[in-house]
Amino acid sequence: MSNDDLSGLIAQTALGDRKAFSALYAETAAKLFGVTMRILKDRAQAEDAVQEVYVRIWRRAGSFRVGQASAMAWLVTIARNQAIDMIRARQPATLDYDEAPDVADPDPDPEARAAMSGEARRIEACLGELEADKAKAVVAAYVEGLSYQELAEANAVPLNTMRTWLRRSLLKLRECLNR
Amino acid sequence: MTEGERSPDDTALAGEYVLGVLPLAERRAVEERMLRDPDFAALVVSWQAHLSSLDDAYQPQSPPQGVKARIDARLFAEAAPAAGGLWGSLVFWRGLAFAGLAAAAAIGIFRDDLLGSADPGAAPSLVAELGAPGSSVGLVAALDPASGALTITPAAFSPDDGKSLELWLVPGEGAPVSLGLVPDDGGRLVLDRGLAERLDAGALLAVSLEPPGGSPTGGPTGPVVLSGALGKK
Repeated sequence: MSNDDLSGLIAQTALGDRKAFSALYAETAAKLFGVTMRILKDRAQAEDAVQEVYVRIWRRAGSFRVGQASAMAWLVTIARNQAIDMIRARQPATLDYDEAPDVADPDPDPEARAAMSGEARRIEACLGELEADKAKAVVAAYVEGLSYQELAEANAVPLNTMRTWLRRSLLKLRECLNR
Repeated sequence: MTEGERSPDDTALAGEYVLGVLPLAERRAVEERMLRDPDFAALVVSWQAHLSSLDDAYQPQSPPQGVKARIDARLFAEAAPAAGGLWGSLVFWRGLAFAGLAAAAAIGIFRDDLLGSADPGAAPSLVAELGAPGSSVGLVAALDPASGALTITPAAFSPDDGKSLELWLVPGEGAPVSLGLVPDDGGRLVLDRGLAERLDAGALLAVSLEPPGGSPTGGPTGPVVLSGALGKK
């Protein structure tokens, strides 16, 4: 199903069309269950998460904006947020790291706006400009929903070091994306 | 750092939020900030757009059978009317459309005259006369399917209080889709190809009264003031 078709189903869902909501579920539930499974790594929890995700989709469909995100990206964002919130709820609500550790290289082009679609693909090229272990940490954080604590353990570095690494990597990514 | 400027700290924080690495309390703090700081919210949205190409890593996996039924039970168990209310009622729309046609005829909108003055060249092939029962206002919308241009000719109607008039396609089933704001003195709305293709004979159009600049929600929020169906000319 095309992105336009999915956008249409979301728009219809926004006005209370249950048939469109069912069609949207049929088209997207496997992808979103894939997201919650990958992050939560537990079938029962992933099921709970996906239920919560579609309840949110029904209630928030009216906030979807065609020009702002692709339909599938919007849906995946809701699923990732739900799964990450659930996994973070089982972890400490705060971490004992320095507030906003020092970041080098201020963003040279703060006004540049990220564009969609073709532009989004540039993230892959830009990840290639980071050191391999840093790029891997960024991707693992996003795809697996890893916390700073888990990333620090996986990379065998202190928490603050991990955060400084990741924040610097994000700024380098941003600089590359804005170029 | 003046407001509106994007500091490296904010850029990194928005990225951390989208990656998902922050602990729960900080995630909530970021979400609250997004509500009151549109520049910061835009940073988050742009990180989401960039990072969404990593979504390909998520392999689809069918959820168990009962999940959809449980979602429906949670959302619809009360058998409450759908959120759309009047907007969701097809009967309401069909009724308005007929009433609109009658009203347009009653106040003497002759589409040939109006169209003749609006576009003497190629004759648009689909026309809708939008009116309202008991009201001496109306407008004519003529679609040229080739270009996707909708020519709008107002007939004695302008909203007061600086409000905007927004034109909607009302599909046979489902939510109205915005076609754009009605230009103050009439004129042309050029539609996306995808939208223009959805406008065929019988399609219902409606105009609602919205805050200046149009509906803030993506769906109609104000009263319906005009409606009518597209027909072949």
